[in-house]
Amino acid sequence: MMRVFYLTFCLLFFNIHNAHAYLDPGTGSIILQALIGFIAAIGATVGLYWQKFKFLIKKIFTKNKKQN
Amino acid sequence: MNFELGSFRDPAGKVFYEEKKVFRYVTTQGQKKYEYIKSNGILNDSIKDGYLIETREIKDEKIKSQISNCKYILQHQLIDFISYPYEWSFNQLKDAALHHLNYQIYLLEKNAILIDGSAYNIQFIGTKPIFIDVLSIGEYRDGMYWYGHKQFCENFLNPLLLSSKKEIYFNNWFKGNLEGIFTSDLNSILNFIDKLSPTIFLQVFMLNKLENKTILDPNKSSKKLKKLRNFSKKSYMSLLYQMKKTIKKLEPYKRKSVWENYSKQNTYTKEEEILKIKTVKDFVLKNNFNLIADVGCNDGLYSFASLESGCKKVVGFDFDLNVVDRAYLEAKNKNHSFLPLYLDASNPSSNIGWNETERKGLKQRFNFDGLIALAIEHHLAISKNIPLDQTIDWLTSFAPKGLIEFVPKEDETVQSMIILKGDIFPNYTEENFIKFLGNKTKIISSTKVSSSGRKLFEYARI
Repeated sequence: MMRVFYLTFCLLFFNIHNAHAYLDPGTGSIILQALIGFIAAIGATVGLYWQKFKFLIKKIFTKNKKQN
Repeated sequence: MNFELGSFRDPAGKVFYEEKKVFRYVTTQGQKKYEYIKSNGILNDSIKDGYLIETREIKDEKIKSQISNCKYILQHQLIDFISYPYEWSFNQLKDAALHHLNYQIYLLEKNAILIDGSAYNIQFIGTKPIFIDVLSIGEYRDGMYWYGHKQFCENFLNPLLLSSKKEIYFNNWFKGNLEGIFTSDLNSILNFIDKLSPTIFLQVFMLNKLENKTILDPNKSSKKLKKLRNFSKKSYMSLLYQMKKTIKKLEPYKRKSVWENYSKQNTYTKEEEILKIKTVKDFVLKNNFNLIADVGCNDGLYSFASLESGCKKVVGFDFDLNVVDRAYLEAKNKNHSFLPLYLDASNPSSNIGWNETERKGLKQRFNFDGLIALAIEHHLAISKNIPLDQTIDWLTSFAPKGLIEFVPKEDETVQSMIILKGDIFPNYTEENFIKFLGNKTKIISSTKVSSSGRKLFEYARI
């Protein structure tokens, strides 16, 4: 029981350092790149809609001005 | 045929030397990628545009028959002095990083990539960084990720961030770790404010989190890895540009060092300095040197004088990283063939890495035909307590001909060095200096260059 408690404590409170895990050490870096790519794609999409939204607002106001 | 002992990781080929020439053979594993860069003009264009070391394919059936599995033999331009990233100053590592990124961008436009991110694949010819590993270039395939990213971060980005954000030089840490600075180590050092920077947040904090996750739960990470979508070429390119932008902005942490103003604030007069420069110039002029080692080069005053007097190239060594950096920037600005490097003379770079032969120690790389060692001997003999005979032996081992300055005990600088430790150096005399130097070399001349009795001794090894 004490052993389980000790292991849980270690896992929770100590930093994990680079160990020789059975996984390509570059895995974290690839996942990070995928994440950055995903964020950039969201940014680009939001940016595109934001441009469209700005264009629409501009169009409405120019129309109103012309009517006045 | 001598095989380069540090060239063993890549099954695609190996470096070897013969008759003071450097070659690389390409195996069947490397054949396809070599043929790809050759047939698409990438190899020749990279050389022509200054990214890659000069390389030509040679036909030598005799050499080929001695190597099993050999498909091609390439000959590279020989680099006079191989240096390692832990011997570079901040701006040298920064320029090497930018060279790597610029080359990756250049290659990606031509549908090729660099398969790793090792700083050891970059060398300096004078102040110009150059990529040396032809077999690190591979074909780009749609959806590829930047596989060398982790290595690039540890070899380039992390050391630069460390020396930029904290008052810590990366060099000794890099030398101890060989593969640079781990992201987990850097993450532990950087504080909350540092991590507010988007680059540090992503490239250090987040990368460390993800690396930890892969260690804690490799199965889950492995599944995640398999599910990942392809990485677009546009994203790859934008990652490279983003990294380039980040590195370009990094500057070394501002700190003062002891030797920063030495060439302006030293203990000798202007006339004495002129005499010293003249002695160096006369020595260089009559010897027609190719490569000089300037030990204790400071900001390169005497290295530049040597180059002006006809020496083709100079490699400088100094303990103070601030002056090494300044000397590098000045040489770069003046386009001089001068490569200043970091050296703690009492603890020089030793043989390290796999089998203790992967990265060579300083002595194994000596290729100098001349030495200038001005105002350095007393730092070793007095400050570091290295016996005078050993100090002289070490200095003369650099090159067969040289100029060494002897600083007598009466000199102001030596006096201040022994204020606390006292005069525990009864053997430190000019007579002994002459005796020890004369034991292994022929003393050609001696020139008194200061009123305190400093002398420049010219020697030629017997």
